[in-house]
Amino acid sequence: MKQLLSRPWRSAEKDGAPHPYLAALGGAGFLVLSLIFIVGGFELGLGSPRRLGTGAFPVITGIILAILSLAVIAADLRDTPDTVIPDWISFFAIGGALAVFALTVGRIGLVPGVFLTVVTASLPDRSLGFPGKFILGAGVALACWGLFIGVIGLPFDAFMGF
Amino acid sequence: METLTSFGNGLLVALEPANLLYCFVGVFLGTFIGVLPGIGSMAAISMILPLTFYLEPTSALVMIAGVYYGAEYGGSIASILMNIPGTPSSSITCIDGYPMAREGRAGIALFTSAIASFGGGIAGMIVMALLAPALAGLALNFGPTEYFAVILLGLVAASAVSNGNPIKGIAMVVAGLMLGTVGVDITTGAERFTMGIPELRDGVHLVIIAMGLFGVGELIVSIRANASGAHQNEIDYAKFYPTKAEWKSMFAPILRGSGIGSFIGALPGTGQTVASAVAYAVEKKVSPNRARFGKGAIEGVAVPEAANNSATQTAFIPTLTLGVPGSASMALVIGALMMYGIVPGPRLLVDHSDLFWGLVASFLIGNVLLLILNIPLIGLWVRLLKIPYRYMYPTIIVLICVGVYSLNNNVFDVWLTLVFGWVGYLMRLFRFEPAPFLLGFVLGPMMEEQLRRAMLLSRGDATVFLTRPISGTLIAITALLLAYAVYSAVKQRRARLNASAITEQ
Repeated sequence: MKQLLSRPWRSAEKDGAPHPYLAALGGAGFLVLSLIFIVGGFELGLGSPRRLGTGAFPVITGIILAILSLAVIAADLRDTPDTVIPDWISFFAIGGALAVFALTVGRIGLVPGVFLTVVTASLPDRSLGFPGKFILGAGVALACWGLFIGVIGLPFDAFMGF
Repeated sequence: METLTSFGNGLLVALEPANLLYCFVGVFLGTFIGVLPGIGSMAAISMILPLTFYLEPTSALVMIAGVYYGAEYGGSIASILMNIPGTPSSSITCIDGYPMAREGRAGIALFTSAIASFGGGIAGMIVMALLAPALAGLALNFGPTEYFAVILLGLVAASAVSNGNPIKGIAMVVAGLMLGTVGVDITTGAERFTMGIPELRDGVHLVIIAMGLFGVGELIVSIRANASGAHQNEIDYAKFYPTKAEWKSMFAPILRGSGIGSFIGALPGTGQTVASAVAYAVEKKVSPNRARFGKGAIEGVAVPEAANNSATQTAFIPTLTLGVPGSASMALVIGALMMYGIVPGPRLLVDHSDLFWGLVASFLIGNVLLLILNIPLIGLWVRLLKIPYRYMYPTIIVLICVGVYSLNNNVFDVWLTLVFGWVGYLMRLFRFEPAPFLLGFVLGPMMEEQLRRAMLLSRGDATVFLTRPISGTLIAITALLLAYAVYSAVKQRRARLNASAITEQ
């Protein structure tokens, strides 16, 4: 399990080879998506061949995607794609930075929000110490204040709740 | 004569101070972003798109076009200096550009790239000025059946001919078509797949998808790729002017690359990567210097750069005259035009001729600006590449956040970008190319509308798509392409199996 979490693209049995079930997850994801659209499309109504209903196009595309997904799953199970090791640290740090921006910009303003976003985004980089991260965050935050509010005049609040 | 007059009028539009300024800003920013490794023209346009909402449509389009070909050119700088293609289409330039840089001829390689890009760009512009009105005239006879068929052809071509597994490419297009149905159905007014979220009633914003899939997705990939610092090599940049013999050897390849690139770029669904690859393959066959290819041949830099840039310009032909984008970047251009209420298609040349010819003329100005800007700025780009990536990517993330948030001043858009960013990264892990997804998303609503109209006019007879001559021909070509996609997938699999068998032995 530990290995699956850290290197999920590689099988536990044979190092270097991608795990076939995990490699087929992409196609499986598309299959689920297609089923959601097919079911949803039927609920919306198909209409008639002359007057296609609201759900007709989602159902048609959903069926095509379902068939393609099965083909992709079969192909990926038969011969798995090249090994790719996911970079989960960057994945969550960048996602975290976007989440921090979304949580802060409307509550404490653009400048502190950008500062925290930059610090969060730079967390996975160990070559830059915390003083460096804070200086970078402050620099980018001030530049954004000047550019987006000062020059372009976007309707953002620089500081809120202080 | 009429074309020349229209082009002259377009030149007057492009030379207006505001348009000139936005062309310069676009070219500069595009080159700047394109130089950054892993950040392609797609991400560059996505980042700039929110800023263009405040501009006039012509200025906005001129700026977006400048960003587009600026980024395509900028991509070649990273390819030559670091062996990291800034854009997928500049990956071919790596083959000979990087060996030239290793030999201490980085300056000459960059100069060749600038000259070849200029030559290709001008050739592409001439082809566009001559071909687009003729194609638009033909397209005026199109009804819903023909439009549906041409959109279908464009989508299948884009996914079947693009890099990667063609079946996955087609699956991505279909997924994009499905996502395009989210929101209120314009025909019936019914909500589709909004899950009761009011922000989704107008559908998902194109910028959010582009920023997420390309901006955020590419950033996650590029952090680790750039952490190695493999590009910190010492190269002599001072000498960049080619010798007389080098000038002579790059002239014919630029012409050949421009011709091939102009032709391939004008076909819906092909794009610059295919243009560069085909032009390089042809040059390798016909060049008297073919033995040097892959080891630092100047022709190996000139040809893909000329092809890439000419294809960049002619890609606007199907985009603007038929409303069918040849690439994901062109899909963004269509999206930007639609935000201004301008529908790309054959009527564009009649209803918005100032915009069309202003754009064509701006190619000339933009390419001259690229040349003027880039030859003296070679040193600056080199220094820019020396800025550690750890300072770059947090800043780019902030630009993405602010760009998305400024769409509606709503944090929901930022959350949605996060979701698409993660999805974009996972797509890359599972070897799904995100570009066809965007094409499907942009063309989905148009395709559905034309399908409904065609079925209504034919009283529910689906054979109308096969019995009308133009749509029948287009559907036949689409079927051939699909057959090619299946053949290509089987061939790829056999090649992989053979390769693994050889490795095991």
